[in-house]
Amino acid sequence: MSSIIDKIFANATKFIAIGVLLLVAWIFSVLFEHSLKSIEAFGFSFLTETKWAPNLEKFGALPAIYGSVVSTFLAMILAVPIAIGIAIFLSEIAHAKIKTPVGVSIELLAAIPSVVYGMWGLFYFVPIIRDMFGGIGISMLTAGIVLSIMILPFMAAVTRDAMNTTPDILKESAYALGGTKWDVIKDIIIPYAKAGIIGSFILALGRAIGETMAVTFVMGNVHKISTDLTQPATSIPVTLANEFAEADSELYFSSLFELSLLLLVISFTIISIAKFYFLRRKRTGQ
Amino acid sequence: MATIVDITEEQALKVKNFEFTYAGSDEPNIKKLTMPIAKHSITALIGPSGCGKTTLLRSFNRMHDLYPANRYSGEIIFKDRNILTKNEDLIKLRTQIGMIFQKPTAFPMSIFDNVAYGLRLQGVKNKTELQDRVEKALQDAAIWQEAKDRLKHDANGLSGGQQQRLCIARAIAVEPEVLLFDEPTSALDPISTAGIEELIVGLKERVSIIIVTHNMQQAARVSDYTGFMYLGELVELSPTEELFVTPKERLTEEYITGKFG
Amino acid sequence: MTYTQKRVIANSIVMALSTLSALIGIGFLLWILSILIINGVDALSMTIFLEEGAPPGNESGGLKHALIGQLMLVGYASAFGVPLGIMAGTYLSEYGLKSKLSETIRDISDIMMSAPSIVIGAFVYAIVVAPSGQFSGWAGSIALMIIMLPIILRTTDDMLQLVPSTLREAAFALGTPKYKVITQVVYRGAKAGILTGVMLGVARVAGETAPLLFTSFNDNFLNTDMSQPMASLTVTMYNYATSPYEDWQKLGWAAAFILSMFILTLNILGRLFLLKRKGK
Ligand SMILES: Nc1ncnc2c1ncn2[C@@H]1O[C@H](COP(=O)(O)OP(=O)(O)OP(=O)(O)O)[C@@H](O)[C@H]1O
Ligand SMILES: [Mg+2]
Repeated sequence: MSSIIDKIFANATKFIAIGVLLLVAWIFSVLFEHSLKSIEAFGFSFLTETKWAPNLEKFGALPAIYGSVVSTFLAMILAVPIAIGIAIFLSEIAHAKIKTPVGVSIELLAAIPSVVYGMWGLFYFVPIIRDMFGGIGISMLTAGIVLSIMILPFMAAVTRDAMNTTPDILKESAYALGGTKWDVIKDIIIPYAKAGIIGSFILALGRAIGETMAVTFVMGNVHKISTDLTQPATSIPVTLANEFAEADSELYFSSLFELSLLLLVISFTIISIAKFYFLRRKRTGQ
Repeated sequence: MATIVDITEEQALKVKNFEFTYAGSDEPNIKKLTMPIAKHSITALIGPSGCGKTTLLRSFNRMHDLYPANRYSGEIIFKDRNILTKNEDLIKLRTQIGMIFQKPTAFPMSIFDNVAYGLRLQGVKNKTELQDRVEKALQDAAIWQEAKDRLKHDANGLSGGQQQRLCIARAIAVEPEVLLFDEPTSALDPISTAGIEELIVGLKERVSIIIVTHNMQQAARVSDYTGFMYLGELVELSPTEELFVTPKERLTEEYITGKFG
Repeated sequence: MTYTQKRVIANSIVMALSTLSALIGIGFLLWILSILIINGVDALSMTIFLEEGAPPGNESGGLKHALIGQLMLVGYASAFGVPLGIMAGTYLSEYGLKSKLSETIRDISDIMMSAPSIVIGAFVYAIVVAPSGQFSGWAGSIALMIIMLPIILRTTDDMLQLVPSTLREAAFALGTPKYKVITQVVYRGAKAGILTGVMLGVARVAGETAPLLFTSFNDNFLNTDMSQPMASLTVTMYNYATSPYEDWQKLGWAAAFILSMFILTLNILGRLFLLKRKGK
């Protein structure tokens, strides 16, 4: 009797575990299938066409791609130095008494839903940008800044964790040769934790590019490529968030599905690079 | 009462009434300790686990200052000054008093860069000077033969014993006056251990050495003086042979004959 | 100036810059947090819990519909996601440990944890909303469940692996069948860890907005029928905040506050559980 239950239990768990894998495959195939119409209609020009005009049944994703790339890039160049600063502060400068509370607060802030960051951006940051740069304040720049603040806690926490993997005895060896804190950081900690640090940045990048709510509030969803960062713009997730529930034709839907697929492929690739190239999880049991 | 031998020869370091308390510790981890360290000789520190050997050793290069809220008082005299004062230049002190750790600590860089590290910190930039001094240090640490063809390789490719000798080369490259060893062979096999011991003995012409060890044979083999510590105090400091053959303190005798611990 | 003096100066500069950037970063985060608390507490009142949505302008609306909708969406997602995730995690740790299959599932789950959640919304739209012809609570719950699954799976896997194998062996030695060893010994040993994973998983999906936008959609009134569009705190927050009406915006802040406190509480509790476990 119990050997039958044993078998059932074992197979049920295996079935579900494999189910997770199949689910991911299913997600890809469903998105692909629903993108087919758009792929047939536009082919490769979907990625290079700048016109997104639902009323004309013309869909070009370049403005959204451009917006995703630029806003994420802005967010990264703003967040990376500050995240490194916070990580250095937390791992090497702060006294034990403030290290833990500040570190935990930062981790908790990483758990605040991104919709809250977006809301803060809309009500408190948009006016500042408006006053500083004119225009309506809803812009690529605003989106980049809000995004950078949203990914900052995650980035700082993982960078600190990566830096903390450096064994104390290794750091002490450098201090014992007369090194300063900065010498130890740049010569020992950063080289030692390099893969981990870069990996966390790339992981943050992968998350930022798919982030929806923090930017939807402040970007404007305007399908236009402008080099003026103070102009409204759009990104792939912003387009999806704004238009999915309102799409009214098959081709429109299909284009949105193709955007989703594109976003999934991009994030999957970036996250895989971070995980497999830089943050190789130790194989189980080793 | 402790028995501390009078050291008539020149002294590298003098510990006077040194007391040390770790952050969070209720009572001193080192209690009013006084101890002379002879120049150009090897002083071994032995004693049961937790008696304060490492703590004392790390006081000589002010390693404890890396962590906040450790308290200490008393004096450690080095080159006619008390190095425990606030305005002691720790960077300079640490280039004069080097340290080798329990485990090899090769930096994540090439063999050459490891040995050149301390020199570069001191501003040595000239290529030939760097090369000469690195080579000399590697030779003095008896690892030149094994390392000379792979100076540009990652130091972590060396074996444990080789890495420990590399760390010794790195420490002596900056020509310190004192070297501190904290159980330098505890992570090594017997053959590597013998190599390191031989090396340490060879170094004493140039530097004064303090070595913490759990291995009493090792203390007997390499050191000129041996200090026995117990519960944060120095119980006895004698010439090594005397300490092991005719210990003056009952506690010392019990410890070396294995009657406790 | 000697090279060492230069090093000392460089060190002071970098230390100052790091401290400064930490202050900037922490300042921004404190700013957001204080805005959230000030606006949230200001907007809180009993009506929020007692009233459903109301047309803008008459100050009588509440969030009851969104709170209940949120509970149902997250509740159903957890009711399916948690057991499925634990089962799958159990397979990885107890049966498949080092197999290629297990490693692949781990890798894919790790990636899915960071993948854009809005894409999951699109997927659920295609498989649930489009065929059924309408937005529904079920669609929202399914989207949240898919997001939750890899989180629960991986924490369960990790936590079970922490259980010492001697414990398993001791139970096997008594002739206990494997499923009993797992359910009675291993699960018990990993209880706190799994619970933490569940709390973090729930906290994570509770804050999700994007995948609900076009699955459960929204409803300004109370609806408990899972086959109909359903309000959630997050989507309500989005709609109210982007509306031009001040009383709606106020409700948006209240929703942000309630949700954030819920998520922070879950996170803190989860940490405490883990700490307690380590303390033992
Ligand atoms: N960082 C620390 N914080 C608080 N107490 C410490 C710390 N390091 C050591 N101690 C305590 O100080 C005492 C002396 O420790 P120390 O490491 O000097 O002993 P030891 O003689 O080197 O022992 P071992 O032979 O095990 O290395 C011990 O009681 C130890 O518990
Ligand atoms: Mg020790």
